[in-house]
Amino acid sequence: MSLWKDFSNGFYTENPIFRITLGMCPFLALSTSMENAVGMGAAATFVLIWSNVAISALRNVIPDKIRIPCYIVFIATFVSLVDMVMAAYAPALHKSLGIYIPLIVVNCIILGRAEAFANKNTVLSSLLDGIGMGIGFTLAMALMATIREILGSGSWYGFNILGQAYANQPILIAILPPGAFVLMGFVLAAFAVIDRRKERAA
Amino acid sequence: MAEARTFQLSMSPHFGSPQSTRRVMYDVVIALLPALAGAVWLFGFGGALLPVLLSVAAAVAAEFVCLRLMGRSTSAALDGSAIVTGILLAYNVPPGVPWWLPVLGSVFAIVVGKQAFGGLGSNLVNPALLGRAFLMASFPVLMTAGWSAPFEWRNPSAGFGTSGMPAAQVSTLPEADAVTGATPLRAWKDSFAMDDHEGAAVRENLSTPGTYMNLLTGRRGGCIGETSIVLLLLGALYLFVRKVLEWRIPLAYLGAVALFGWILGGPGFLEGDALFSVLTGGAVLGGFFMATDMVTSPVTRRGRIIFGIGAGLITIIIRRWGGYPEGCSYSILLMNLATPLIDRFTRPRMLGEVRKHA
Repeated sequence: MSLWKDFSNGFYTENPIFRITLGMCPFLALSTSMENAVGMGAAATFVLIWSNVAISALRNVIPDKIRIPCYIVFIATFVSLVDMVMAAYAPALHKSLGIYIPLIVVNCIILGRAEAFANKNTVLSSLLDGIGMGIGFTLAMALMATIREILGSGSWYGFNILGQAYANQPILIAILPPGAFVLMGFVLAAFAVIDRRKERAA
Repeated sequence: MAEARTFQLSMSPHFGSPQSTRRVMYDVVIALLPALAGAVWLFGFGGALLPVLLSVAAAVAAEFVCLRLMGRSTSAALDGSAIVTGILLAYNVPPGVPWWLPVLGSVFAIVVGKQAFGGLGSNLVNPALLGRAFLMASFPVLMTAGWSAPFEWRNPSAGFGTSGMPAAQVSTLPEADAVTGATPLRAWKDSFAMDDHEGAAVRENLSTPGTYMNLLTGRRGGCIGETSIVLLLLGALYLFVRKVLEWRIPLAYLGAVALFGWILGGPGFLEGDALFSVLTGGAVLGGFFMATDMVTSPVTRRGRIIFGIGAGLITIIIRRWGGYPEGCSYSILLMNLATPLIDRFTRPRMLGEVRKHA
């Protein structure tokens, strides 16, 4: 059961975005549309999984004093892979994610999981943790992108769902930076309300 | 009012004041009513009265729902502060916008600008201005093109003439076809993009006694509540007499707008127009009714003067070099954010306190 816990931790109880509030920069910047959100989620998940695996496999070899630079080397390697693969096979997505692909190197979620989890756990646990956290991050991105894209462009995944009249005059602020902060506040507040309800019920 | 000054047998403070939130807020509402009458005269019932009523209704409803959700006393929804926010928000949108725009702005102002921070007294910035900033960011086209000309509602052919004045009010310009701006400030701003000769002609036409008269009486394009300068001043006078309005912020603000408008507002140094700077845009509405918001402006006297001057300077900087023709609302929002800092640096010395040497 502990393995299941490692895997599912990232979905809700330790969701990297809504619980640990790590990785805010790509989250706020790229949740403007579902396409960006899923692209970013996939890229980060890939890096998260393999950096977790590599670091936990070598956790007894990496000297404690220089462990952070070592993590960065691993992470940067996988990020370079993602960067080149995406540039080759999905140039449009690569262009729209832009600087945020190289910035995955310093993504707090990945570094955080390396330091807090992969460094101390077995390869299998770390693999599951990476997948779970990646899914949690992607789900959080998708939730926010759903709200922002529908409000700010009247569409979801590029498909117009609120009609042309709305799409001509959407609440543009939802896909602008200030809208990201305001909506993030509301989503976090909603989570707090859900938690409080749960606590009371328990 | 001597009998109202009661002594209370309770914890301090022991001096009661007849001034309550409710009284202050309803005084502000009364002070804003003449400008509403002016707006109806200029823009008609559909252009001015309807947006204001909808905006107020939306603000009060949003306040009520928020208070209900948070489990607080819902009677605070009628303390007048939501009504003031609703009126000010509607005063800050162009008269030609669709009905849902002020409604949306009011709801945002109350929910995000005020209640999310903890309600009246805890908001960081003026809620009505935050609502306006939200509308500006979300609907830039409607908020900068939704103008309707004064008296257009009675005479549909009125339309805009040159320089944001009603067609019939403006003396014809040489090469006037090059100058069409829906507001005088837009015309002023656009003049800098023209070649020197044309631009100078536009500005010269804006700096005439006739223009000043039009600006003073509201015969120009502008937001619903910002154009009737005389009536706004009348309301401000009422607030001053009722001791609700403190003179430092409006005076410092309008003084700074005039001064910096003259120094920086023109094509070159000291080539601006002080009177034009004060009378256009939302300077009078902003200076008397929005910069003076008790919650979001400094409490110290020196702080209030700093606040007013800072807002005036930012207003002119935005007007001259910013992306928008008018910077009044953003300047007040920025100074709202600086208010805690200003209060801290201008804290008066306590009796007997010795200045520390750094």
